[in-house]
Order: sequence, then structure tokens, then C-alpha cells
Amino acid sequence: MAHSVAIAAVSEMKPGRYPDMSGYDLYLEVVRQFLAEWSIKPGDIQGLLACPSGMAEGGSNDIFVHEQLYEELGIHPLFADTMNAGGSTYGLMVQRAALAIKQGIADSVLCIGAGKFPKVGAGGAESMARMISHEIYEFPYGTFIPAIYAQVASRHMFEYGTTPEQFAEVAVSSREWALKNPAAAMYGTESLSVAKVRESRPIATPFHLYDCSIPLEGGAAILVTSPATARRFTSQPAYLLGMGEYHSHRNIHQAPSLTDVGCNKAGQQAYRSAGLGPGDMDFAQIYDAFSVNPLVFMEELELCPKGRGGEFFQSGASRPGGDFPVNTYGGLLSFGHTGDASGMSMIVEGARQIMGIAGERQLDKADIGLVHSYGGMMSEHSTLIFGR
Amino acid sequence: MTEKTIPEKASLETSVSANPIPAKPQPRITPWAAPLWEACAQGKLSLPYCSQCEASFYYPRQWCPQCFNQDLSWLELSGRGKVYSFSVVHQSPLPSYQDDVPYVLAIIELEEGPRMMTNILNCDVDKVRVDMPVEVTFEERGDMTIPQFQPLK
Repeated sequence: MAHSVAIAAVSEMKPGRYPDMSGYDLYLEVVRQFLAEWSIKPGDIQGLLACPSGMAEGGSNDIFVHEQLYEELGIHPLFADTMNAGGSTYGLMVQRAALAIKQGIADSVLCIGAGKFPKVGAGGAESMARMISHEIYEFPYGTFIPAIYAQVASRHMFEYGTTPEQFAEVAVSSREWALKNPAAAMYGTESLSVAKVRESRPIATPFHLYDCSIPLEGGAAILVTSPATARRFTSQPAYLLGMGEYHSHRNIHQAPSLTDVGCNKAGQQAYRSAGLGPGDMDFAQIYDAFSVNPLVFMEELELCPKGRGGEFFQSGASRPGGDFPVNTYGGLLSFGHTGDASGMSMIVEGARQIMGIAGERQLDKADIGLVHSYGGMMSEHSTLIFGR
Repeated sequence: MTEKTIPEKASLETSVSANPIPAKPQPRITPWAAPLWEACAQGKLSLPYCSQCEASFYYPRQWCPQCFNQDLSWLELSGRGKVYSFSVVHQSPLPSYQDDVPYVLAIIELEEGPRMMTNILNCDVDKVRVDMPVEVTFEERGDMTIPQFQPLK
């Protein structure tokens, strides 16, 4: 699918707490910042995809958010929808937009997301647990999101001898990148160490506090267009070279395996459609609700051998200056997890690296990169491959 | 070292009335899953069985998720299995579980194949391991009985 679709423009709010703004208010702020940053005119947006913004608040009725947004923008799209696939929503939006553009339905599609995140201690953990686990066969056992990811970590430790210290290395690496990103929540703080991660408060074994992403709020916008349109906005668009998706399960106890959750199948499809392999990638941006995710998904995406994800992160290869940078914006672990919009951040960064607009953290070699996001409890997967 | 025990029905009711901690969530009974809960009340673990696939499955559905066969029966299982994975929860998400911290959230794999989400009861939480043999036990939850697991005796 080489060079038939491109990312023309991206914009993202700084993650934070915005107590005076509803999910929809955040949407309007995302739009305001996007229009201020790029010289986009109403005729430049032919399609619009949005996601309900209040899921993480324990339920949402804004399932018509795309209608409100296109009216507010004053546009009349040829292609529009409100869709939701959790953290993979935005990866799948880009894929849906690409299909519409290739089919000639619309020349440009604005993919947009905004998210609230309830405070974990203020009933947030319960409403989130209710949302992500089976009402009858899981929730009555006291399901807790960190504990579900921790089950994936425990199984990886059993099968491959991975250690809690190796999971901590993922958080250490992400913090190093966040210290180079002024938009990251942890910018201006200090480096982490494996010891600091392990000494932080225990949450659910083997995870401590710093193995968990930072619950915040925010949002982002991505304009997907034909290559010709993209070049009107930027001299270096991020071309979409390949894409793949796979939907494995909904509830974690139904996953076929906790060390092969379906990420591989999305990755395989993305590599096939790009005519490229893992060895062609210069970097990866991988959805990291918890430290375990990048470690396991590096393996599933065949970016390192099965069972060696721990050694990969321990080697320092993912950090600034390393051989294979991962989550160069700080990841959800140190940039911040913006609730319903969290699946935006890694796509925005993947595109920025390819477009050469990543500031102090711009990689020397960023010709081809992979972005993997997932929704639910590692339930459904989207892999995108961007290139110059 | 925290020893977990199954509360007797009477003591559970007492603790609810004497304590602001809400009752733990009770599963909703769907008509096609009723035999699961009826068997639990009799101290047995019974799951839907597809004779075409020769396999039990969890959770109960109105069709076999491998072949869509709707002509299903119910089969009592051994109740034995192994811990597929687990985590010891140190910060409870639910007010009703706050007195249980630290508790074990586990996925167990039954001898017959299906996996279930469960707690591991009646053991020191620090002793739980992946691959550890377990057996079913039952917890009174309000007016229901739900399956739980404990180390194999």
C-alpha cells in the first residue's frame, strides 16, 4: 500500500488534569489547538472520526460526538462516525480513514480523540474494573486493571524467566525519553532507576506504582489524507506504508495465551501489507498502560526474539542513543495516559518522528517506524507502519 | 502472612450489618447459565459440554464457541486444575474487597481445559505460584454460591 495514504498533520494537548472541562470541552480544546497549529480550512476536512470521550468516567452517552463536532466545525463530511475500540480506537481510525481515502470516499479524514480519566482512589478503579471485565464471570472476583496486566507479567516470568527488574527497565527507559519531551507529564522531573521502581508502592505483584501509567486527561487530532493533499501541509508527510488489525478476545481469562494475545497477528498483517519486515523498522511506539506491554509486544511484533524482551530493555537499546528506540515521547508511563484518548499519543509521536518534527528527541534515523496500540485487556490490536 | 478463609454465610451477614463495607458483587444469573449456579449450590462444578467437540467450555453460552452447536449438555468436572497466572492485589479497587487486601486474583486452568477467573482462598498469598495445583471450593455470596479455588489438598 506504499505511499497511497499519509498523515498530513498532528496535534496533541499536554496531558494534565482539567477539572473544569468535560470530555466534550476537551474535544473543543483539541480542535482549537489543532486549527491554531496548522493552517487548515473547513474544505480540508472531508471526513471525521471521533470516539466517545466519557467512557473512563464510568459510562458515556456521547455516542453521537461526531455529529456535534462536525456541526461545531461547520463542515458537512462525506464520511463520519463515532467509534470505539478502547486504546486501539485511534489506530483503527487511521486504518478506517485509509480505506475511505483509497476507496475515493473522502480525500481527508480528521481522526480526533479526547479523554477524561477518573481518579483511581475516588471510585475510578471500580468503574474501570466494571468496564473492562466480564460482569458475571470476572468482576465479582475483585478484578483490578493493574492485577490483570500483572497476570500477563507473572505468566511471562514463569514461561521465560523474566524478572520484575526487567519490567522496571521499561519504565526507566520511558522516563529518559519523557525528560526530553516538554509536553510529557514527567518532563522536568528526575530519572528513574530499577531500584526506585521496585521501592515504589506495591500495587499488584509484580507491579509497583512506577510500573503503571499515569492517569491524566487530554486529547489529540490526526489528519489522514491522500499524499497530494498531505504535501500541501507539510514537505515531509508520514506515509502509511502498512497496517493490520486483529481482535482476539474481550475478557482476559478468554485470551488464548497470555504471552500471545493477538498482537502478532496484527503485526504480521502490517508487515505483509508494507512489504517490510521487523528488521526494516527504525523505532517502535508501543501502547504501554503498564511496563509489561512493550516487553511482551516487542516479542510478539518479532522486534526481538520470543522470551528475550526483558534482555532487550535491560540492554538499554530502547533508551535515547540506543540501537532501537521505543516510546520516544515518554510512553503512557511517563508522558501520561489520557483515558479515552490514550491510543492517540503513540500515533502522534510515530508520525512526528517520520515528519522530522520531534524536537530534542528527534531520532537521527527515522525513515520507517512501527506504532502498535491495543484496546481492552490486550483484546484488540492495531499495527501501523509509517515511512518517509 | 495473611490467611484467607471463606466467611460462613452467617458471619458474612453479621459483618455487613456491623460494617459500612458493602457486600461483594453477586453474579447476575442468565437463564442459560442457571445450571452452573444450581450445581455450585450443591458443591459441584458443572459446565456446558459440546458432544460434537467433546469439550467443556466456560463461560456458559447458548452455543458452542468452537462449532456453534446449540444442542449442549452439562457435565460435572473434577474441580481440579492449575494456576495459569495470578497477581497478589495490594490496593483494592472495590470497597467490598478492601478488607481482603492482599488478595489473589488468578486465572486457573481446569484439568478439562477451560480457564476461569477466580480468587485463591485458604492459603498464604505469598505461597501462590504459577502452575500450582488447585481445587474448586465454594463461597456463599449473598443468596448465591460461587466457585472459588484453593490449593489442592
